[in-house]
Amino acid sequence: MDAYDEEPAGDPAGSPGPPPVVGVDAPAGPRTGVAALSPRYQVGAALALALVAVVVCVHLGMVFLSVAPANTVTRQHGKAIEEWVYPEFEQNWKLFAPNPLQQNIAVQVRADVLMPDGSTTTTGWNDLSVQDGRAIDGSLLPSHTVQNELRRAWDFFVTTHGADNRPIGMRGSLSEQYLRRIVVMRMYEQDATSEKGTIQRVEVRSSTTNVPPPDWSGEKVSDTPVYRVLPWWTVTSDEANGSVR
Amino acid sequence: MSRLALCLSRAIARVTESALGPYQTAVVRIGFAATWLLFLLREYPHRQELYGPDGPWSFGLAQRLTADNHAFTALLVSDGRVFFEVCYFLAVLSSALLLVGWRTRATSVLFMVGVLSLQNRSVFMGDGGDNVLHLMSVYLVFTRCGQVWSLDARRAARASTARALGEPVRDRVGPALWAVCGLVLGAAALTGRTGGGWLIPALMWATWAGAALWWAVGRWARTPQPRILLDVIADILHNGAIFVIMAEACLIYATAGWYKIQGSRWQDGTAVYYPLHLDYFSPWPALADLLSANGTMVMLVTYGTVMVQVAFPFTLFNRRVKNVLLAAMMTEHAVIAVVLGLPFFSLAMIAADSVFLPTSFLRRLGGWAARGRDRVLRREDRPLPVPRSPEADEQPRVGFGA
Repeated sequence: MDAYDEEPAGDPAGSPGPPPVVGVDAPAGPRTGVAALSPRYQVGAALALALVAVVVCVHLGMVFLSVAPANTVTRQHGKAIEEWVYPEFEQNWKLFAPNPLQQNIAVQVRADVLMPDGSTTTTGWNDLSVQDGRAIDGSLLPSHTVQNELRRAWDFFVTTHGADNRPIGMRGSLSEQYLRRIVVMRMYEQDATSEKGTIQRVEVRSSTTNVPPPDWSGEKVSDTPVYRVLPWWTVTSDEANGSVR
Repeated sequence: MSRLALCLSRAIARVTESALGPYQTAVVRIGFAATWLLFLLREYPHRQELYGPDGPWSFGLAQRLTADNHAFTALLVSDGRVFFEVCYFLAVLSSALLLVGWRTRATSVLFMVGVLSLQNRSVFMGDGGDNVLHLMSVYLVFTRCGQVWSLDARRAARASTARALGEPVRDRVGPALWAVCGLVLGAAALTGRTGGGWLIPALMWATWAGAALWWAVGRWARTPQPRILLDVIADILHNGAIFVIMAEACLIYATAGWYKIQGSRWQDGTAVYYPLHLDYFSPWPALADLLSANGTMVMLVTYGTVMVQVAFPFTLFNRRVKNVLLAAMMTEHAVIAVVLGLPFFSLAMIAADSVFLPTSFLRRLGGWAARGRDRVLRREDRPLPVPRSPEADEQPRVGFGA
């Protein structure tokens, strides 16, 4: 690739420092690369070169097709592309594209808590995303635990559930457990009532609010939040013990 | 026709005779190792919650997902707390060692195992920065990333000086490291706990076997030919990997740019305003308001971002334009690090970008760093390290002075 400012060929050590001691008995002329090899060994080098060239081209082709929009080739060979790219070369570079997210999606939770005196109390709604936002405010190094954990767990939940909140496939049930474990952990950490008792059930909802458009744009959007309320989930004893610490 | 043949033979000579871009490779190595090291240290208080056996993404959940997608992670070998702590420590250690360039081939494999193990253990904790690191940690294994600015380079220089003086050079650490790695790999294979998938275990075994072959050939080969062949193969692998790293960086920008072009917000020039006002990406709301106060400025930045991202891969054909865009993108990432609260994503992107930095600039940077270090350590001025030439590798073992 031309964009490189390579050393001139044949002078790999061309540096301002003193000449390297190592080359002292190296004869002049080409001694390295394929030129230094006898024909028999050159075959080996040629094979290696061909193999690496093929693998590089195939790999880049596969990765390109995996990030490209659906097209004729991906429709015909989608399976092969997936098998090559997943799991270790998976990638998603649609960063803030095609459109940046224009809504604040907050995950909120309330719980039925069994208190030490035997009574059951329902807590108020706790806005976990607002807590995350507060933790991020003024931070030069926001932790993945506040920036990604809940946000991506909710994304995962939404993409693996239908509009009726029923799980789709194995990942749907994984995402449900994951989200429940996060909210229970967070309730034990940050909710005063939950801290005192044992959480028995939780109800999770998302509240989606439009980001107010900039003053200079003259656009108008609704500022009332839209809720998506999930059914009450019973918390398993394992989760209720707050194994997460 | 003969011109084509000449071109081809020169290209072949070029990719087989040396590992290209020693400074670029070194800076990529240092960049990613530093990113991961800083990330691990920053998340040290949260390590259990992110990747531990009792975190919200529990051991059982991770087992069920990796059984389905065959992602590699050493962390599902055991759900013990101690095992996890040891793994986390090894991940920290391997990134520190890769940073200083100690036994780079072995540590780059360890680094990759650390990155993949933690990230694949809790895949939903990551973001774009983790994704870049994930890919690059695999590609780095194929590179000769310790040619300059590394303890490896220093060791090679010392060894060749010693040989020039006729002193024997013995390496005990290398074989010991190889033996330990072999024991761990063997134990993992025998107990069937290879970590999932076939690619990463195969890569580890191949590197391990390659190291043995390298050593054996250096020791017992009667002619220098096998030794040179291995050297040529290592160069070919390195050059292939560097090309993939560059292509990957281009792909990131191309994808990000071309998809943005299709978005209405990027078209109407308001896109940059929105991420600045998302709760999860606005650590400095007042700063975000200030930056987005002027509609024309927001539009210029919005259009500029798309143009730079789309144009970057094409500017590689012109050194000067490429350097200008590179500076622009690194600056933008530095701004993103603070304004959107994405420091590790930005660091990873800057590390990936730096594969395109010009050698002259990197040399100057190295000179400053060396002077700074010497001033701190009150040492005498020393010459810059020079890239390990192929001879430096091959010479000693065929017996200098024999």
